[in-house]
Amino acid sequence: MKKFTLVFSVMMIAAFVLAACGGSAAQPAAEKPEKLSVWITWGDNPAQIQELFNKFGDANGVKVEVTAPIEEDKILTALNSSNPPDVLVLSGGDLVKSYAGQSFVEPLNDLITSANIDIGDFYEAPLKQCQSGDEYLCLPWGNDIYALFWNKEMFKEAGLDPEKPPKTLDELAEMSKLLTKVDADGKVTQAGFIPDFSWGHNDLYVQRFGGFWYSPDGTELTVNSDAMVNAYEWQQQFYCDGITPEQMLDFAASFGDYGSSEQAFYAGKTAFQVDGEWQVGPNFIPQFAPGLNYGIAAFPVDPNNADKEGSGVVQGTVALIPAKAVNKDWSSKLLAWMMSPEIVAEEMSYNANLPTSKKAAQDPRFKEIEGFDTFIEIMGNPASTHVITSPISLEINDALGVAEEKILRECADPKPLLDEIQAEYEQLLKESLKQ
Amino acid sequence: MAQTPVLEHPAKRTRRRMTRMERHNLLVGLAFISPWIIGFVVFTLYPMLASLKYSFTDFTGILASKQHFFANYQMMFSDDRFWKAVVNTLYMVLISVPLNLIFSFLCAILLNFKVRGQSFYRVIFFLPSIVPAIASTMLWIWILRPDTGLLAALLNFIGIDGPNWFLDPLWAKPALIMLGIWGIGGTIIIYLSGLQDVSQTLLESAELDGANWWQRLRNITIPMVSPITLFNLITGVIVMFQYFSQAYVFAKFASIGKADIIVGRPMDSTLFYSVFLYDKFTNFRYGYASAMAWVMFLVILLCTVALLKVSNRFTYYAG
Repeated sequence: MKKFTLVFSVMMIAAFVLAACGGSAAQPAAEKPEKLSVWITWGDNPAQIQELFNKFGDANGVKVEVTAPIEEDKILTALNSSNPPDVLVLSGGDLVKSYAGQSFVEPLNDLITSANIDIGDFYEAPLKQCQSGDEYLCLPWGNDIYALFWNKEMFKEAGLDPEKPPKTLDELAEMSKLLTKVDADGKVTQAGFIPDFSWGHNDLYVQRFGGFWYSPDGTELTVNSDAMVNAYEWQQQFYCDGITPEQMLDFAASFGDYGSSEQAFYAGKTAFQVDGEWQVGPNFIPQFAPGLNYGIAAFPVDPNNADKEGSGVVQGTVALIPAKAVNKDWSSKLLAWMMSPEIVAEEMSYNANLPTSKKAAQDPRFKEIEGFDTFIEIMGNPASTHVITSPISLEINDALGVAEEKILRECADPKPLLDEIQAEYEQLLKESLKQ
Repeated sequence: MAQTPVLEHPAKRTRRRMTRMERHNLLVGLAFISPWIIGFVVFTLYPMLASLKYSFTDFTGILASKQHFFANYQMMFSDDRFWKAVVNTLYMVLISVPLNLIFSFLCAILLNFKVRGQSFYRVIFFLPSIVPAIASTMLWIWILRPDTGLLAALLNFIGIDGPNWFLDPLWAKPALIMLGIWGIGGTIIIYLSGLQDVSQTLLESAELDGANWWQRLRNITIPMVSPITLFNLITGVIVMFQYFSQAYVFAKFASIGKADIIVGRPMDSTLFYSVFLYDKFTNFRYGYASAMAWVMFLVILLCTVALLKVSNRFTYYAG
């Protein structure tokens, strides 16, 4: 019994010691790794992207293994482990500052200098989402920008000119009313504009009203600003004015999955959609709705902020090197190769994503994609901005998501809800920026 | 003079050394269970103690966390979404668990009748319980689709306009409860095994004395399977407090474009405790999430102890 007690006590002490300690040292990097791993959070065409990265592998005598798409759950665990991917490609820059706040991200200023990467070749708006002060936490690799798509056949049926999309937010609201159909039983059979289809686009709407939920430098929270309140009130009318949220939600329950032929815009259930440039590429409209007669234009503006006309809000794929990456020299080499105009042009033209490089944007392959030039024009508009982020972006987005549901689905007054979020997270943002 | 024998106090034991054989047996026994002990220490005990430590810090994923003392617990108890998650979880515990028990018991009674094809019926009722949680959730999402789903078609056939299971916060949890009832096969099997132990002699005697079916069920069968009921109740409560997978997948279909998973939708009606805890982890709030995990552990422990304490009033142990 005494022996058992002794043995058990030793094991308990071991457990306490393990609990108090933690972490492990990274393994020393080898000269030339056997394999480099690249994780990408999107993956419309994994085979194609592997083929692209094989070119780097063949030229440098090292295998590059691409995992695309990778679940976002796995990323956090990997970044905190001793063997993260050598290069991580995220579908947006909103997580980069959160990761950087946890020291998961390697600053790239030295790489940019040593690899002679031409920072001036990057479009300004997407590059800004990678900057924190003077530090570059990532580099943009392909942009996304959203525009307004409309169904020309529905326009003709409603007596609207199919070649004249709405120019102002009020025009969009009026057209939406004309394009919304409700049957004798009160069921919606066709919707005009649904502001949160296929997901929320509040960043675009609030930009149209001249603001954002952060100050331009991302150091202050402005969730309850006039621009935010106006943006939500404008969106609310599509659920609460002349139609009820229950009617709209009943109709929305019949929508198919994104990236399927049953997606509501492809299936002729909505007259408008706000979506990105990839829609005109090989993996979306041409694949799922090749006969769709549609138009694309920059999102309409608020007449009080007419300077935003023709602009958009850039979000984009960004590539970073994890701080705990084992083969940092090779990670840097791979990242520099990814950023070269030739590779950017090849990858982005294949999948119809916007090129981050101005030189790459001149590639004739982009002109062969029908409708793509509209997105390039929007991206190049000097009034185009980027999504401002902070170390607590995830929590703010969650809180805004909850508020958005109440505003749209319960027709709740936006101001008190936004005031609450402002009060709750203002101090938290300041504390997170101090760390 | 004869000495009065000194009686040894029954509680007093003379310490003696272990014999060589006893020492050997102990070491051999420990050696055989050492893989389990190591696994328990490394994969259960250490993470538990680590999370207890993190719950008092502002740990966000890597080292250099600062002491937060009880700040996480204070934040938790003053967070509206935390209480929403608690209420949603209690809803499932108080409604789903009893319903599962009732349906399991009734199905077990039916499957205990000696009829032709009894084995076949037992297999049919058990099969849904071995379908993985995600697959069964996807199946039920197809069944519950308000426009083309099977349930909507059946309700329309009898003139009922079915609810919007995914987007109406009032109906999201009932939809998940239905999904749960579909998977009660395991509980049915446990009840079935308990029904085999109900004394047939007692049932026959009661029948001869004029007791009807309901009287025999209420006064003999139910008390005799009460230990099974207690077991299923405790395990059901523990499982329901940790409800996660089905709610997480279900939330994807609560978004308009079905493009991404947004926890808790619609309107936080599917924001269960474990879902909220997971959300905190993905938001780098490891300290807060660890505090939530320990509160859940204590609540489940208290509930289990309370159920065991009151079980004497309704549990009959034959013999």
